[in-house]
Amino acid sequence: MAASEQPVEPSSNIPDYEFMNLNSTPFHIGSFRDEWLKRLKPEDFSFQPGDQDLFEARFAAAMGVGEETMTELRSVCSVNSLLCHSGDQERDPEVVPPNTTLKTLIHRKKKNNKTQKCTRNRHDLYADELDRLTAGRLPDTKANQLPEGELILTINIYFPSSVEKFNHLRPHTTLLMTGSHTLAELRDAVCCVSDLQVCGEFSSTPDMAPDFMSKDLFKSAYFFFEGVFYNDMRYPECQDISSTTIDWAKSHNYPPFSTAKMEDTRLVDLKVKVGFPYLYCHQGDCEHLVIITDVRLAHRSDCLDTDLYPLLTHKNRLMTQKCSVCHVFIGRWYTTRDQFAPSDPCLFCDKCFRMLHYDKEGNKLGDFLAYPYVDRGAFN
Amino acid sequence: MESYRKPVKSDCEALLSRFRQTQSVRFEVFSNIWKEMKFVQIFRQSHNKRAFCRMVLDVAYCYFMPPFSFQIRVGGLYLLYSFYHCQNTSPPEQIRVALKDWEDVRNFEKESLDAQHLDVAYILQQLLTCKAFLFTAMPTLLHYNRKRTEEKPELCDEFMERPCRPQELINTQLTEEMSNIHELYKNMKASISSQMSTADAASVSLIRDGIVSELCSAVMEFYNWQQNKDTVDEAQPSQERISSQQECSNRAKLLASIKSKAYEEASEAVKSRRHRQVEIDLPAEEDKSFLKLHHSRVPKPSLKNRTKEQIRMSGNMGREAARTTLINHLVTLEPALQEKIKNERRFKSLNEHLESQTISTSH
Repeated sequence: MAASEQPVEPSSNIPDYEFMNLNSTPFHIGSFRDEWLKRLKPEDFSFQPGDQDLFEARFAAAMGVGEETMTELRSVCSVNSLLCHSGDQERDPEVVPPNTTLKTLIHRKKKNNKTQKCTRNRHDLYADELDRLTAGRLPDTKANQLPEGELILTINIYFPSSVEKFNHLRPHTTLLMTGSHTLAELRDAVCCVSDLQVCGEFSSTPDMAPDFMSKDLFKSAYFFFEGVFYNDMRYPECQDISSTTIDWAKSHNYPPFSTAKMEDTRLVDLKVKVGFPYLYCHQGDCEHLVIITDVRLAHRSDCLDTDLYPLLTHKNRLMTQKCSVCHVFIGRWYTTRDQFAPSDPCLFCDKCFRMLHYDKEGNKLGDFLAYPYVDRGAFN
Repeated sequence: MESYRKPVKSDCEALLSRFRQTQSVRFEVFSNIWKEMKFVQIFRQSHNKRAFCRMVLDVAYCYFMPPFSFQIRVGGLYLLYSFYHCQNTSPPEQIRVALKDWEDVRNFEKESLDAQHLDVAYILQQLLTCKAFLFTAMPTLLHYNRKRTEEKPELCDEFMERPCRPQELINTQLTEEMSNIHELYKNMKASISSQMSTADAASVSLIRDGIVSELCSAVMEFYNWQQNKDTVDEAQPSQERISSQQECSNRAKLLASIKSKAYEEASEAVKSRRHRQVEIDLPAEEDKSFLKLHHSRVPKPSLKNRTKEQIRMSGNMGREAARTTLINHLVTLEPALQEKIKNERRFKSLNEHLESQTISTSH
């Protein structure tokens, strides 16, 4: 489907479907916001609740109708006219009523009658949990309130390609960001376990392990949106890791890519497609799919506290592997060639590891190799 | 949750088709149908309430947009209003409006204001005031879901706006102007040709003489064909009504076709005012007759029956055609045998069930 033709404005600012129900055409986010603000009155997107009396007065004046017409209108269009029996409505809001003609309810009855799976997915149970905590949250001070007319983007970050399980089905996290956030802030909000990986053998110096996290060692990362690589150049150690890809593409006659700085690009400056997969790469080869699922103006039922943004609204949890001794804590150490361990390799939590392999002074007992282990579900 | 989409869509379509049959755009009519169907019970859901409400609002939203007819769009707006207020999640799920659709919403509002449909305008502006709308880029959340089960969303054909561009183009103003210009042209041609020889005069005829009436009749033919498309050809009542229509003047019929876009009931509060200013008053019976042409669909008879009725073969060919063929003779069973097999099949499953029960009880 081509972009919609608007006689006045250039069509590139009004997103339309590129492929039906799949993704949109590329559009500039800042201009999209301007288009909306051009078409709306400030009270349409303000956070104040609407004033019913004022609205009715204005409506009556505009239509030139009298008071009795307004009362008639009000009573005819009221919501009470839609509720059937207010009496037994409240009795069983979850039970399907008998003798129903609605196909939806017949379908629901059929589903309820089928044997329920005893293992209900925890994800469905807690899907809205984070959302519920923050929706409608107001800030403490006025300065922290989201400005009216601000854009909110919903971004899905998927599991890294190394995790085979939910690679393209379920997003790992869903983040809500405002338009004025930079890509660097988006990067900081993404939590990936590969950032916490520590490489190296630490059996003799277990306490030094946290100092060598990959997050601190390899700081380079980039986002790829619509042919532009946005590199993270905030720290002196950061390198332009997209240059390899760009050079390769040039030599293979692909269309040229360009680069930009992550920390200088705000989300409103981007030109992206909604619903189209893009890339986030860090640690050299840990790649995540990034999809912007929604771009919209802020609403009063959103969380209005800017301190809470970037806001995590959904997190997919993975099964974690527990310590082989206590079966309670998540495994933090991975040992091989261990004479104390029941299996090779073996997982231990921090406490059990130290209790088993080191004496009270912290001297190494026995012969083993120990590697710090980061479980995939460490961010649960 | 996706499995609920189809039943919700069919429920909405059932409600909208009943609304369409009332030929009205009043909210009172809609809410009566809603109450009758006990539609508010659609929200009886134990878990995943949010996702369900989101889907229901998305389904209703598509009926508010073109290419549906004005009445269906009004029905879609009422649906959105009702779903928004009757939903049981809190905070409520908003109605998503995409930027590309805003122009259509504004045009819809203008149309309803022009036609003085007060309740439509009231409800739309009421939704705006209570911040029910969410101003978004695309109508739904998109996450590149490659598994598309239905290739194209099927739009109910009955709800679509009847294309009426021929009527819009050849309207009364145009025909009047054209006939005036035609008169002028004829007069001018007559005055010039009187000074020329007959041979030259004949060569100056550039246009057909009866062009205006031909255009009118072409448009009427199109309109009649459109009306007849929904009705069955063999149905008696429609034929009577069509013949009565053909008795009226061309121009009046043209007006009637344009007026069919409007609705007969004005807003409750302004009963005395017509909501569309029409130049010529049509007689009352004719008005109702063609509005009633919206029949419900009668299923067509099978090809075999239609052939039997319509094709008459005489003589040897006819006798041969009436006989059953050799192959038919070979494959049909004797009637008694056919009955036996039918009964066996019917009771087969029941027998099996009884047998299995007896076996289990005997253990």
